[in-house]
Amino acid sequence: MLQLVVGQLLNGIIVGTLYAIIALGVTLTFGITGIVNFALGAFMMLGAYVTWYLTDGIGIPYPLAVALAVIFIALFGLVVDQALFRFTRNNLINGLIVSIGLISVIVAVVLMIWTTTPQNMHYVLPGVFRIGGVIVPRMKACVFVVLLLVILFTYGALTRTWAGRAAYAYAQNPEAAALMGVRTNVLQAGVAAYSAALAGLGGALYASLYSITPEIGSGYILKGVEAAILAGIGSVMGSFAGGIIIGVAEGVGSIFLPSAYNDAYGLVFLVLILLLKPAGLFAANR
Amino acid sequence: MKRSLKVFAVSLGFAAWTITAGAQNVVKIGEIEAQTGSLNTYGWMSSQGMRMAVDEINKAGGFEVAGKKYTLELVNPDTQGNPQQALIQLKKMLEEDKVKYVFGPFLTNVFKGIEGYAKQHDGQFLLMGGATQIHYELGKPGNGYLIRTWNWDAGPSGFGTLMVDYLKKKGVKKVAMLMQNDAFGHVAGDIYREAFKGAGIEFEENWFEPGSKDYSAVLAKIAAGKPDYLFPGYTDAVLYDIVQQATQLGLTKFWLVRGSLGPALKNKDYIDDYVAYIPKYFEEAEKTEPKIGKFVAAYKAFYKTKDFPYDQAPLCSSSCYDHVYMLVEAMKKAGTVDDVAKVRAALEEFTYDGLWKIRFDKTGEEIFNFDIVDVQKGGKIAVTHVQPK
Repeated sequence: MLQLVVGQLLNGIIVGTLYAIIALGVTLTFGITGIVNFALGAFMMLGAYVTWYLTDGIGIPYPLAVALAVIFIALFGLVVDQALFRFTRNNLINGLIVSIGLISVIVAVVLMIWTTTPQNMHYVLPGVFRIGGVIVPRMKACVFVVLLLVILFTYGALTRTWAGRAAYAYAQNPEAAALMGVRTNVLQAGVAAYSAALAGLGGALYASLYSITPEIGSGYILKGVEAAILAGIGSVMGSFAGGIIIGVAEGVGSIFLPSAYNDAYGLVFLVLILLLKPAGLFAANR
Repeated sequence: MKRSLKVFAVSLGFAAWTITAGAQNVVKIGEIEAQTGSLNTYGWMSSQGMRMAVDEINKAGGFEVAGKKYTLELVNPDTQGNPQQALIQLKKMLEEDKVKYVFGPFLTNVFKGIEGYAKQHDGQFLLMGGATQIHYELGKPGNGYLIRTWNWDAGPSGFGTLMVDYLKKKGVKKVAMLMQNDAFGHVAGDIYREAFKGAGIEFEENWFEPGSKDYSAVLAKIAAGKPDYLFPGYTDAVLYDIVQQATQLGLTKFWLVRGSLGPALKNKDYIDDYVAYIPKYFEEAEKTEPKIGKFVAAYKAFYKTKDFPYDQAPLCSSSCYDHVYMLVEAMKKAGTVDDVAKVRAALEEFTYDGLWKIRFDKTGEEIFNFDIVDVQKGGKIAVTHVQPK
C-alpha cells in the first residue's frame, strides 16, 4: 500500500505541474491585464495539436517541434491580445465573454482541420524509471523537469529582473508603476504572449503523454483556474503548489475513494482550503 | 421555328416524365451515425460501406421489385455522436424525406435520444442499428420498428460468452475490468460480471471518469491486485491511453470486446497478450476470402485511395455494406419497397452470404461469424474463426 501511495504521490506531483503551468498563465494574465483568460486552455490544446502535427505529420524532431509550437502559440496569443483582449483590460466580464468566444472559434477551427478523432503521437521517450517498487514513466519525469525549470525561471525573472519587478509593481499599483516609467501597454502585451507560450508549452508536453482531442483544453483550464484560486491568484510559486495539490488529491484520492469521481477530489480540497483561507493558501506571499 | 418549338416541347415533356418516373422509383435509405467526433469509431465505417453499396447497386442498374425497377438514394447526415442532432436528423428523414429504412445508431446514448420519437412512428419505418440498448428493447410491444445489427454479448451464441470461453481455455483465473463510468460501461459490467462468474473466473470492477486521460492511479490499484488480464474501456478514444499506461505499470495482458487492434500494435513491444473480438480480421481475410479481396479493391477504387482502413473495416459488420444488400434482397423477397412489416419479415427469413454470413433471429437481432484475434509480444498475430450457432 505504501508503494501505491508513494507512486501516486509522485504521479500527482507530475500531473500537477501540467495544471500548474496553466495556473501560472492564469495568474500572470489576471495580475497584469485584470481578466481571467479561459482561452488559455484552448491555447494549450492548440499547442498539443501543432506539436503533434509538426512531429508526426511533417517529421520534425520533437524538441524542435515543441520550441516551434511554443513560439507559434506565443505569437498567436500576442495577436489575439492586441486584436481582442486589449479592449477588455481590467473588465472581468468582457474579458470572460471574449475568451469564451475565442475558445469556440479555436475549437471549431481544430475540428475543421483535424476532426475530433483522437490523435496519438509516437512515443518520444518510452520506458520507465523504477525507484524501489515505484514506477515513473520516463517521459512523465522529463515533462516534470522541463515544467519545473520553466516555473522556476518565471519566478526568477519576476523577482530578479527589472521587467519582473515592473510587472509586480504594475500588479500592485498600475498608476504608480506608469508614473515610474513602466510602459504598461508593452508589459500587458508581453505578459499575454508569455502566458500563451506557457499554455502552448503545456500542450506540447501533454501531446507526448496522452492522446489529444479538441476538448482537452476545457478540462485543463478548469484545473488551472482551480489551482490558481487555491493558491490565491497572483502568487507564482503558489500556482505551482496549487497545481501539485490538485494533482496529488486526484491521484491519492483515487486509491482510497472511487476512481470514477477523481475530478471531484481536487475540487473538495479547493472548497476546504477556501473555507479556511478565503483568499487562497499563498495569497500574501507574492 | 415551329419545328424547334415542337422539339423543345417534346424534350421538356420527356424530361418531366423522366424526373417523375425517377422520383417514383427511388427508395430512400437513411443513416443516423457519428461520422466525425471522438465516438465516430463505430459510425464512420458504417457510412463508408453504405455509400459503396448504394453506388454499386445503382451502377448495376438498380434492383427490381414486383416488376418495377428501383434505385437507392442515401440520406446520411453526421450526428457527431450528439443525440439532439440525431433526433433532428431523424425527424427530417421521416417527415420530409419520407425515408422508411434507417440504419444506425451504434451509440446507445444516441439511440436513447431518438427512441421516444422513433417509437411514435412504429410500423412506418425500420431502424437497424447496433446500439447495445436496442437489445433490451427488441420484441417489446410497439418496437416492431427495431432491428439490431450486431452480435449480442451474452447467451449461448453471444460473442462475449464465446470470448470468455476462449479466455477460460487459457487458464485465466482473474480479470480486472476498467470501464468508463457511463451507461454503456455499466451495461458491460452487468453482462460480463455474469459471464465471468459463469466461467468461474474472478472478476474485479473498476471505473474511470469520462474524459479521463491519466489512468495511472486506478491502474496502479489494479496492478496491485495482480489480475491475469485487464479488460479495458470500449473505444479507441480511451484504449490507446489505457494500454500505454497499463504496460508502464506492468499490466501487459489485455482482453477486450470492443475497440480495434491499434492500441496493441502501437504497444506491440510492451504487451504480452492482447485478445480482441474483431468481427473480421481483414488483413488475413483479404488473402483467404475472394469476396473480401474484391471488397478491399472496390473500396480503394471507390474512395480513390491506396490505403484500406483495416482497423475500421471490421465494424462494417453492423449497419453497413452487407446490410444494404440484405435490405434490397428482403424487399425483393417481400415484393414491396413500402410495406416495412413485410420487409422485416423477409429479413428474418434468410441468411445473407456477403462479407459476413448474417442472419437475424426471431427478435430481430443479428448473428454473424467473427474472429478472435490474439496479438502477442512483438506483434505476432493468431486468429480464431468463430461461427456462432
